[in-house]
Amino acid sequence: MKVSVIGAGNVGAKAVYYIAEKNIADIVMVDVVNGLASSKALDFLHAAPLRGYEVRIRGTTDFGEIEGSDVVVITAGIARKPGMDRMDLLKTNVGIAAQAAREIALRAPNAVVIVVTNPLDVIAMVVLRETGFALRKVVGMAGVLDSTRFRWFIAEKLGVWPGDVQAMVLGGHGDEMVPLTRYTSVGGIPLDQLLDAPSIEALVKRTRTGGAEIVSLLKTGSAFYAPGASVAKMVEAVIKDERRLFPASAYLRGEYGFRDIYLGVPVIMGRNGVERVVELPLADGERKSLEASAEAVRKGLDELSTVMGARA
Amino acid sequence: MAQVSIIGGGNVGANAGFFIAEKGVTDVLLVDIQPGLSRGKMLDIMEAAPIRRYRNFLSGSDSLDDITGSEFVVVAAGAIRTPGMRREELFAVNAGLIRSLAPEVARLAPESIVLVATEPVDSLTALFTQVSGMPRSRVLGLGGILDSTRLRALIARELDVSMEIVSAMVIGRHSDDMVCLPRYCSVAGVPLPLLLPADKVASLVEETRTAGDLVVELAKRSSAYYAPSAAIAELADSIHMNLNRVFSVSLMLQGEYDLKDAALSLPALVGSKGAARVLTPELTPQELAVLRESARKITAALKGEVAPAAVRNGGTRGGTK
Repeated sequence: MKVSVIGAGNVGAKAVYYIAEKNIADIVMVDVVNGLASSKALDFLHAAPLRGYEVRIRGTTDFGEIEGSDVVVITAGIARKPGMDRMDLLKTNVGIAAQAAREIALRAPNAVVIVVTNPLDVIAMVVLRETGFALRKVVGMAGVLDSTRFRWFIAEKLGVWPGDVQAMVLGGHGDEMVPLTRYTSVGGIPLDQLLDAPSIEALVKRTRTGGAEIVSLLKTGSAFYAPGASVAKMVEAVIKDERRLFPASAYLRGEYGFRDIYLGVPVIMGRNGVERVVELPLADGERKSLEASAEAVRKGLDELSTVMGARA
Repeated sequence: MAQVSIIGGGNVGANAGFFIAEKGVTDVLLVDIQPGLSRGKMLDIMEAAPIRRYRNFLSGSDSLDDITGSEFVVVAAGAIRTPGMRREELFAVNAGLIRSLAPEVARLAPESIVLVATEPVDSLTALFTQVSGMPRSRVLGLGGILDSTRLRALIARELDVSMEIVSAMVIGRHSDDMVCLPRYCSVAGVPLPLLLPADKVASLVEETRTAGDLVVELAKRSSAYYAPSAAIAELADSIHMNLNRVFSVSLMLQGEYDLKDAALSLPALVGSKGAARVLTPELTPQELAVLRESARKITAALKGEVAPAAVRNGGTRGGTK
């Protein structure tokens, strides 16, 4: 098995680390910056005798090396800096993702593509269009990250093992996240039997701003451990055909009443990428929040048309 | 390294030692009255260490004294079921063993957490608690965690999803009156009833109820031991690392659901102090009625077991001194 990670920044490199430790696939890191991916790959390999991973790891600037990958992760892109115009960011990242997508289509035509680059739901659409891949083969990572943060905050609050906390979220990343607290439980016991409503609301709020909380602490840069771990979990589900239920950004064809849009929904992930979208009954409030999330994605897609028009 | 002691070198005991070894967090001592048996098994496991890479120390002993100072003591000694036998029929056989073992464990490892794996597990957990005088938070029984694990496996098979994301809850007596709670079973947080029709859920529940019987029936000369051993290793891990994982474990009831004088499995946070906190999810009147009846049967069994004359050290394997 072979996994390629495009973009050797913090999230990409940390994802490679977590995947390497799982010993499930050879890994190629690609970054256009000369020496960045190859230096990080070397550093990983130097740790191999201690950490005991048995997979090959390569870093390169050459897209040719992703040849035959089973999974390709796109993390490349720039982060929004203070004062940067939203459309400029979009334009840059669309360009990067589109180029990556064309390379993937050419060299790894059977790969499942996991998109991490923001704005996620829009970039996923770009990658889908540029690769021309089957809908289920292109999926975006955001919900796993939001839900792992939510799970940790719950575990911390209750003093329980984080692995026992299950949480489902829908919708966009961060502010637009729709937490399904009814589908959130500890050892199977619904959260609302363990915490009162204001406490749950406080945890939801902290989850929504979980990324920002880390940015404000780091001052320069943003989170990469939890995002990297989230990517690795999705990669593993594909490589090992685990058929895990994840919240992920998937292309919708009428599920939840939405069409031709990428949106965070529960999906079963396995060897073919999105094996299926799981439709859950939603309460009125949840439905409204999901609609607001979809509206934000639609707006992004409109912006995309403008950008694509300008590129043409 | 902290030590886990397992009393009874049969299949459950030895495999629990093996699974704990693979987790690599504590040393393991296996004790059996049959001379050499536990030392032989532990040597075999130790000799696989260079290949399997565990770094903890495993040993065997014929003497119960060696459990002194253990962090976690597993009681896996006693007679096992034969095909067609109900777990409760073993009470008369194994109660004597527990009666003689409990004071010894309390004397040698007074701060330990004890896990009773000998059947019938709930009555014997209650008996062990009473005889040892140890607090109920530190005398647990291997019941619901095993039933829950089996239900998890069946749900994952039915839905064709990863077992790891399935959570299941089975409480009550580790017998055919166990209480499966499908609405507290979930897949990555999504409650089971949303993913499977009611009749399918009912058939999985039924299959769980008889899962242990099926293994006995098929294996003929042994009862289940891989799943029980795996459950023991999870508990050992959660205790040693103080993880406070939620497990359905049998323990003496102290007013939960207005029940007492019996041990039944309930979800509890298990860490370095044992069952630090017992959770009581909301139950329906029907479910409560089943629990009450299970508790009544256990109380009755405990009352019937009084005279020391009942001590019949009839364990086919691993009866300790």
